Amino acid sequence: MRSIAAGLRRPVAAALVTVAALVPVALPTVTGAAPACAVATGPHAALVIDTGAGTRSFCVALDASSVSGIHLIELAGAQDHLEYGFGSGGQAVCRLAGVGPQGDDCFADYPEYWGYWHGDGHGGWTWSASGAASARVGDDGLDAWVWGSGDSGATHRRPGPIGLDDVCVPVASPATSPSPARSTPGAAIPSSGTPSSSPDAAPSHPGTTRSVKPSNEGIVKTSPPARPPTAGALAAGPGPPPASSGPGPGLLIALVLGAALAGGGWLRAQSSHRRSAG
Amino acid sequence: MDRRSVHPMAWIVWATSAGFVAFLTTDPVYLFLLWAVAWFVYASHRVDADHARSFRLFLTGAVVAVALRTALVFFGTVNAANTTFSFLEGLRLGTILVIFGTFNAVTDPFGLVRMAPRHFHEPALAAALALSIAPRTVAGAGRVRDAQRMRGIRVRGARALPALAVPVLERGMEEAHTLAESMDARGHGAGRRSRYRPQPWTGTALLIAAGAVGAAATFLTASVGGWAVLHPQTSPIVWPEADPRLLAAIALLAIPSLLGRTEP
Repeated sequence: MRSIAAGLRRPVAAALVTVAALVPVALPTVTGAAPACAVATGPHAALVIDTGAGTRSFCVALDASSVSGIHLIELAGAQDHLEYGFGSGGQAVCRLAGVGPQGDDCFADYPEYWGYWHGDGHGGWTWSASGAASARVGDDGLDAWVWGSGDSGATHRRPGPIGLDDVCVPVASPATSPSPARSTPGAAIPSSGTPSSSPDAAPSHPGTTRSVKPSNEGIVKTSPPARPPTAGALAAGPGPPPASSGPGPGLLIALVLGAALAGGGWLRAQSSHRRSAG
Repeated sequence: MDRRSVHPMAWIVWATSAGFVAFLTTDPVYLFLLWAVAWFVYASHRVDADHARSFRLFLTGAVVAVALRTALVFFGTVNAANTTFSFLEGLRLGTILVIFGTFNAVTDPFGLVRMAPRHFHEPALAAALALSIAPRTVAGAGRVRDAQRMRGIRVRGARALPALAVPVLERGMEEAHTLAESMDARGHGAGRRSRYRPQPWTGTALLIAAGAVGAAATFLTASVGGWAVLHPQTSPIVWPEADPRLLAAIALLAIPSLLGRTEP
């Protein structure tokens, strides 16, 4: 009898996991989610540079759903001609907007150096616990670099109370005028926006254009069209869903898969215990 | 179902791919799933009870690694974002440790030596010895403790260490001698080497390797192409995401468990 039970257990465990593996494939078709489409505006993050003499801010279009702090600076350089220099083999930030040491040693001007801050999007700032090469900046992220002295967030000069909306200005018009143009954010941009001056950055993000702001070099960011957080939306294109959304359906699938795997492991452990005991 | 042991190279491919996947992401969803996969594979294919002990050691090591990496945040500003970032970095390290523990529990390190090309035999032997030191020491300590318990010796606390360490070290010396003598008797070091009963590549082994490579390739394209979030942002903290395609890729790593069990 025991051999029959043991013989049944494996196919049952296998079936459990197979079903769990197939769920993610089947779910989008079952729920009728929209297929992946590329009209969504790409992810953006804000970069604030405070040289001590003045503050510049950049709204940077990301080329991935999240990038490192170093790559954010590189993107700002490519898109908005931010001048920068890295040291320590490209891991540390030495020079931004013409301020900072020239060579590979980013602490050549110590005690003055570039302090790294993360913003909460509403004017609050925290000292970064990690270097810019390992810190991740996602959509609607906010990074700041402040030139000054002080070895920690308590003593280093802080950035000003700059929020995300001060840099990446949301365009209000698509939300107020429901029209077919909403599905193509590029068409919703008012004609006052001038085309991008850096051709290498713009084409992958059709929904972005540059605003003519006198104070800083912001990019007008269109708010993405409202859509329900479906599995299709999670799988869609380059952009993650808005940061404010709750747990997506992918997490449910992951939970089922994890339960199946752990349950299978538990069954296996139980059966081998029984065999070694008997 | 094939119950012969799987070709060691398939396990190398599996462990390398699973470790690579863990290396590419800090998303807790994928990392915790990898823990579940490693546990499932370990439960299905562990070689014997001694290896089970070493897997538990790696599991403990992984938990300690996560805790230590998270505790590093106390050297800087403590807030939710920094703590989460540190925890996720530690979780990635712990996942790689657990995968390596599984690899140790399902393979025989000396089986790997046999596959090394002739010229690399001695480095491979050294590597196999080094790799197997931790599991063999743990197994040895377990056997000594069992023997002590059977004789009614109960030593606790700091005094237990010498009582445990001396027989374990002695045993390690003996094992090394036995190994050296048996290798000498088989003509190792003299340039003569015969392949005794080479292990065949079974369909099971091929499927394991193919599934693992598929999983690693999927994560690599996601990392290079950027079509899925592999590093959830921590400032501000958002819900981690779970891309169905990447979940399917992780399920591919569980193929060894679905294809049957290695008889211990």
